[in-house]
Amino acid sequence: MGSKYRFRSLNKYLNPINESLLAGAIGLAIGAIIMVGLGYSPLDAYSSLLRGSFGSVYSWAESLANATPLILTALTFAIAMRGGLFNIGAEGQLYIGAIAAVSVSLIQISAPFHLIIALVAAMTAGALWSLPVAILKLTRGVHEVISTIMLNWIARFFAFYMIANVLMDPVRGEKTISIAETSRFARILPGSSLNYGIVVSALAVLLILFLLWRTTAGFELRAAGHSQESSNYAGISYKKQVLRAFLLGGVLAGLAGAVQVMGRPPTYALISGLPQMIDLGFDGIAVAMIGRNHPVGIIFAAIFFGGLMVGGRMMQMSAGVPLELVRIVEGAIILALAVPELKRIFYVVRKKFARKEQRGGN
Amino acid sequence: MRIFRIKVAAILIALVALVGGPFIGTAVAAGKIALVTDVGGRGDLSFNDMGFKGADEAAAEFGLELVSIQSTSANDYLPNLQMAAKSGDFDIIIGVGFLLADAMAEVADQHPDQKFAIIDVTWLGKPNLMEVGYEENKGSALVGALGAMVAAHYGYDKIGAVLGIEIPVLYKFEAGYRFGMHWGNAKYAAVTGKKADVGLLYKYTGTFDDIAQGKIATEAMLAQGAGLIYNVAGPLGIGDLEAITEHLEAKGKTAGPPFMIGVDANQDWMGDGERVLASMMKRVDFGVYQAVEAVVNGTFEGGVQVLGPNNGGIKMSGEAELADFITFGINGGKITESDRGRITDNWLAMRSAVPSWIWDAVDELSAKIGSGEVEVPCVWCADSIDQIRADWPDNVD
Amino acid sequence: MEIEHLWPILFISLHAMVPITLAAIGEIIEESAGLFNIGLEGMILISALAGALGAEYFGSAIGGLLVGAGSGAVLGVIFGLLNTYGRGDQLITGVGINLLALGFVAFMLINLGAAGFHSVPRDVQIKLIPLGVGSLSPLVLVTILLAIIVYWVLNRTQLGIRIKAVGENPAAADVAGIRVNAMRLGAAIVAGALVGLAGAYLSVDWFGSVTKEISAGRGFIALAVVVFSGLNPLLALFGGFIFGFFDGFATWVSTYPKIKDIIPWQFVAMVPYIVTLLVVAGVIGRVRFPKALGIPYLRE
Repeated sequence: MGSKYRFRSLNKYLNPINESLLAGAIGLAIGAIIMVGLGYSPLDAYSSLLRGSFGSVYSWAESLANATPLILTALTFAIAMRGGLFNIGAEGQLYIGAIAAVSVSLIQISAPFHLIIALVAAMTAGALWSLPVAILKLTRGVHEVISTIMLNWIARFFAFYMIANVLMDPVRGEKTISIAETSRFARILPGSSLNYGIVVSALAVLLILFLLWRTTAGFELRAAGHSQESSNYAGISYKKQVLRAFLLGGVLAGLAGAVQVMGRPPTYALISGLPQMIDLGFDGIAVAMIGRNHPVGIIFAAIFFGGLMVGGRMMQMSAGVPLELVRIVEGAIILALAVPELKRIFYVVRKKFARKEQRGGN
Repeated sequence: MRIFRIKVAAILIALVALVGGPFIGTAVAAGKIALVTDVGGRGDLSFNDMGFKGADEAAAEFGLELVSIQSTSANDYLPNLQMAAKSGDFDIIIGVGFLLADAMAEVADQHPDQKFAIIDVTWLGKPNLMEVGYEENKGSALVGALGAMVAAHYGYDKIGAVLGIEIPVLYKFEAGYRFGMHWGNAKYAAVTGKKADVGLLYKYTGTFDDIAQGKIATEAMLAQGAGLIYNVAGPLGIGDLEAITEHLEAKGKTAGPPFMIGVDANQDWMGDGERVLASMMKRVDFGVYQAVEAVVNGTFEGGVQVLGPNNGGIKMSGEAELADFITFGINGGKITESDRGRITDNWLAMRSAVPSWIWDAVDELSAKIGSGEVEVPCVWCADSIDQIRADWPDNVD
Repeated sequence: MEIEHLWPILFISLHAMVPITLAAIGEIIEESAGLFNIGLEGMILISALAGALGAEYFGSAIGGLLVGAGSGAVLGVIFGLLNTYGRGDQLITGVGINLLALGFVAFMLINLGAAGFHSVPRDVQIKLIPLGVGSLSPLVLVTILLAIIVYWVLNRTQLGIRIKAVGENPAAADVAGIRVNAMRLGAAIVAGALVGLAGAYLSVDWFGSVTKEISAGRGFIALAVVVFSGLNPLLALFGGFIFGFFDGFATWVSTYPKIKDIIPWQFVAMVPYIVTLLVVAGVIGRVRFPKALGIPYLRE
């Protein structure tokens, strides 16, 4: 196989991008087949998908707004994955982060500090919710899949309790008190959902990039993820590495919750049932995997994923495609993304076509 | 090298496609309505389905095109409304559910020439926004009274309520149900001369999705002697009814008691017409239909409309709606046309097995609530749910 | 709380155990062979729908269960092919299946009718076994039996050794003449059938209906139970039961009026999750997974 040699060339960088683009195309093709089968026009559907997601400044803003929390929850997953750990706890940690951010609005602090304190509170809360995962793993050998799934549910009910009984709005009981004006992220584009919370996500990406590839801690984490045995041999502390991955992950997930509730208009409060938070953590896993667990890849994946959500709206509106079908198309794209070998199949088919063309030409 | 060039070309094409997006246009149709639903979406057996039913009927009646926009999360409300308003295609944009309130307030301000309507919200006050609220507490009082009297009649000492996530809208249901139960107890004692001491079991399940919670909660309440279960959690009613059906089956019976009480839609046709005694109908479809009708007739204006027992917006299910909702069930694929006769017969038998004075008493309560003679506690009006719980206690040791 | 309430709680626990344990056993087979499938939730969802339609079409509950298992097996084929010969990323595939299922089932339910749920007629639902103190689904017995069979196959037969070899050291297994990808594909299909049975149980037996979110997180709980069990089907039976017990118990207990005054329902609802965590931390502890779990096999 030539793949070993390809990695040495410029293709090292182009390959994953290509794969992703091709997978996207294949996914769209599968979606188109389904739509034709069901009597919808895929052309209408996809042109409205594109228009809806990236067709105007407004739709770009919405796509970026969707990407904002996803970048953070994806980083949570990716950091752990880089260290060989499977952390699916972002979902619960982000609820707790959001609760912490709202709690800070119980007190009054002057402008810049209020926002900063809320963010710090959310980061701390997220890390604290993540801490048991690391401790249970290190002391009792509890696998993180089990502890994170359980803690996600516990966080959900805890958040329900806080919303209904502690932080509730005295007038509008279906939500918590609003985030104080001094603690909100301003909007970037009026009328849209995009806000300066995205700066937090961007900074987090830069920080993680630096951390993973320019510091010893990052090297140790990646080494441990690569091979547990050899990193032990090199004297890298397993304990340190597990703690780092989960605490840092918790900080990021907590931030995701905070950014969402402090920045995403129009409510600036948590609603009972957490409808604006649910699934952000799980979607982050999909984003991280599409982005190949690389911070830069995650940015693109998050924008792509966020764009799909926005474009899905336009598909419903102007092509009449129900949201359920939009989800099917999304699922098909992600399935296609999972399989690098699809590319090979594509090349084989293309080669055959090329041969046919040649024959036709002769 | 060739492969590399193809790759670059592919990326370029993709980029062009992205940038070229805005220039791909679509035709604009005249006479469109947009229905923006909340995260429950269609198939919640509750207000989203009812909202869709109303919009669908209005679209058919007035020859309009209906575009339904479902939200994947609460984050979608603002952009969904915003994008619909920006398109300028819609004669009216209708939001279903109180969760859309904040987004609706913002978008309605930004698009003063666009007509909007919102269901379950009554506090925004915009000239271009019709707000439709419901008096669920009053309807719940009716089924609560019915429940207490029927339970006492059949020798049960408790009634139950299975509720979804603890939100104030559901407090309205709980408050009315409580009040109605006490009214029914008093009425039963007054009419029969026997003491009625029916108490309330209720459970907030924390979910609108997991049917198992409805089933388990209902099984628990039946084991504690509940004679009726009020479903206030949309799809969880399927679990409630399944529990009741199995409970009856174990005794070799198919017909209640125990019964379920349906919510929002008329669910009497479920359970073969012999296990759902009545439904507290919240006619979201009326509200949506009226909003569209007002736009078509040119009588649309902003402001609050309260639908309750007086104008048919809230009502306990009767014979009049049964046929309509059997059709709804047939469309839903649960039953077929051949079941219609049997379900109707079962339903009539179930209703006539309950003494007629009980039905008269419910009518009496309905009239008294309508005239204002009887005041039902109301969570969003003044009272807190804690106060209501203290004033109208569970009545269970 | 009266003593006669213990029986219904026991039956609730057993009924709640079935879908979680069936899906977990399926996943155990798959993980033993080196495939990690987080798409259980989506597979349960699709099979629940398929099972309901199958029961109606064939006019029999058994038919429904078989169709459900069959649809799960088909999904198993897709998952297996993508992740063996396709060398796919198992995590992404799983996420894709979950997303696809969520859209597919909701879409089908809308196209099947307006009501958004689909109900299985009473006469083609699984008949419960009346036991005097309550009624028990025969699927409970089937689940227990399957757990024992799978345990026996994995630990006491040549086939089990081969499955584990493929998950543990695929290169060595290959050298020993085991066709790694074929074995994994087979495991994925059997696993899919079991997960499909779990889905069909929900619609044809436990609830008698399908809704668009009927699985309600059970696929993820099953994943946790797999970890809990350390790939031992008998422990998965136990894990499914204690989760089912505390879930049912928590809901049950919180319908008692007095409980509400003492503990808010949100904290009662946490109980099954906290208990599971405590049991794992206190009793189960560290578990070991196959070395090649999640890694596609590439012949050098």
